[in-house]
Amino acid sequence: MKRWLGLGALVALALVSAVALGPAHVALSDLPSSAIVRSLRVPRALLALLVGGSLGVAGASLQALVRNPLADPFLLGLSGGAGLGAVLAIALHVAGPWALPLAAFTGALGAMALVYRLGLVGGAQLDPRVLLLAGVAVGAFSGAITTAIVSLAEAADLRNAFLWLWGGLSGASWDTVLVMAVYIPVPLVVLYAAARPLDLLALGEEPATHLGADVEPLKRRVYIAASMLTAAAVAVSGVIGFVGLIVPHITRLVWGHRHRALLPAAFLGGGALLLFADTAARVSVAPRELPVGIVTALVGVPLFAVLLRRWGARG
Amino acid sequence: MEIGRFPTVLESIDAAVSVTAFATGDLLFAIGAGDQVVGRTTWCRYPAAALRVPAVGDGLSPNVEAIAARHPDLVVLYRSQMNETAAEQLARLGIPTVTLAQDRLEDIAEAARELGRVSGHKAAGDSIGAAIDALLQRPPPAPLVRVTFVVWDNPPMVIGSGSYLDQLATLAGGSNVFHDLAAASATVSIETIVARNPDVILVLSDSTAPPAYSARREWRAIRAVREGRFIMLPADLFGRPSPTAPAAVAALRHSLEAEARK
Repeated sequence: MKRWLGLGALVALALVSAVALGPAHVALSDLPSSAIVRSLRVPRALLALLVGGSLGVAGASLQALVRNPLADPFLLGLSGGAGLGAVLAIALHVAGPWALPLAAFTGALGAMALVYRLGLVGGAQLDPRVLLLAGVAVGAFSGAITTAIVSLAEAADLRNAFLWLWGGLSGASWDTVLVMAVYIPVPLVVLYAAARPLDLLALGEEPATHLGADVEPLKRRVYIAASMLTAAAVAVSGVIGFVGLIVPHITRLVWGHRHRALLPAAFLGGGALLLFADTAARVSVAPRELPVGIVTALVGVPLFAVLLRRWGARG
Repeated sequence: MEIGRFPTVLESIDAAVSVTAFATGDLLFAIGAGDQVVGRTTWCRYPAAALRVPAVGDGLSPNVEAIAARHPDLVVLYRSQMNETAAEQLARLGIPTVTLAQDRLEDIAEAARELGRVSGHKAAGDSIGAAIDALLQRPPPAPLVRVTFVVWDNPPMVIGSGSYLDQLATLAGGSNVFHDLAAASATVSIETIVARNPDVILVLSDSTAPPAYSARREWRAIRAVREGRFIMLPADLFGRPSPTAPAAVAALRHSLEAEARK
């Protein structure tokens, strides 16, 4: 219970600092009435919470699915697919304020479908090892096509597409928050419902089957739900690294391996980490802004090291 | 041997390859050396006559083999790390190179003089150099409006005082609200643009339609975006620092005066 209170306090502190701090000076007494706070800081903070949470849960689920601690939501080819979609949208001059996120989302889903199909190559069963290899291969392949388009194109705009890929929350608005808030509950509920079978899966596929888990449908559900979460995250904020890799490990150190506790903790932990990182990205070099992915690594890795020493020693 | 520097003995050249985004059209053609140009990058697109010159690749990493195949007497390179390597490779093939900075307006004056001297069009080169110098020495007019160049929307990138665009704006009577940033361009938060509250957004685009991001809600927090106050800057005048800078300043001045009356 103390751990949950601590995590809740951490999320609250992250939310408050994200809203109170920024490159523009807003007096504390003006916070509720300021247009900057209402139309920019609050939606950006909520989006950071939703994206960070989604990446944390997607990472935790995928690590359980492929039984590999190095699994990351973007390792399965989604970032490559999203990048290709975004670059194609720019190269083909697809117009409209939502063209880029929609194209990235479509690209990520395309990569997901391709990796899934390749993961089934060995037969009707989804092999986690093949899934990992297929993810790396699809990611590298779409990355190569993206680079070819960018280097052959004459439009300088395309080179900027890479900047978008590095990730950032500058596209945050109440519209993006609403889209995410409507979209992510479905994959989140699917993954939470799979919490107990995921615990069993950690023992290995055969023991899990003997203990009553329906392993094949479980793997498919988890893979698709985690990918849907990641695809939405990449569509609204590009590729933000380390959250989906580090947060599940941190929460596992504190909460153990039971997914019923691990998944909600990974959501809150991922949200808090991305909130703190984005606040630092906006404030530390103001009026300039850092790519948030750099900050998530700078904040997340030392945090992970400290926790590893503290909890890892207990075995 | 000093690599990539200006060749010391070169009376005149018959064939030059331009591996820069603008020197082909804007400078070599402007100084009357257009007939001597035997190669260009795909990015060298001005003036229209330049497009008749065969392209030897794009401007990022020069295709040394394609350049050598044009048998140039001189290769004009943009001053960058990648081009220093190309200059070394060309030097090994016995092809002289000149690397020119092309980032700010004063670079153009210097480049025009150097290219005029090596191509046998010294008077024309000096004349362009003098015109740019005169433009830069003119006392800048009192600022009419406060402007921001938004060159990319996600992440939002603006122009700082390191860029020739900041120079053009100042000379035209626009005060760049990000003049304090020393870099040519920088990523900033939308919040910062809102706080600095420019009167007009300047956009590098050949289109006349407002940019797509102006329909996005987070961008509408900026007053100039809400009021639709965009000035679109066509690439032929504003896309790079060029000898057409005086015309660019005059065109921008005209647009800024119209905005100031609103």
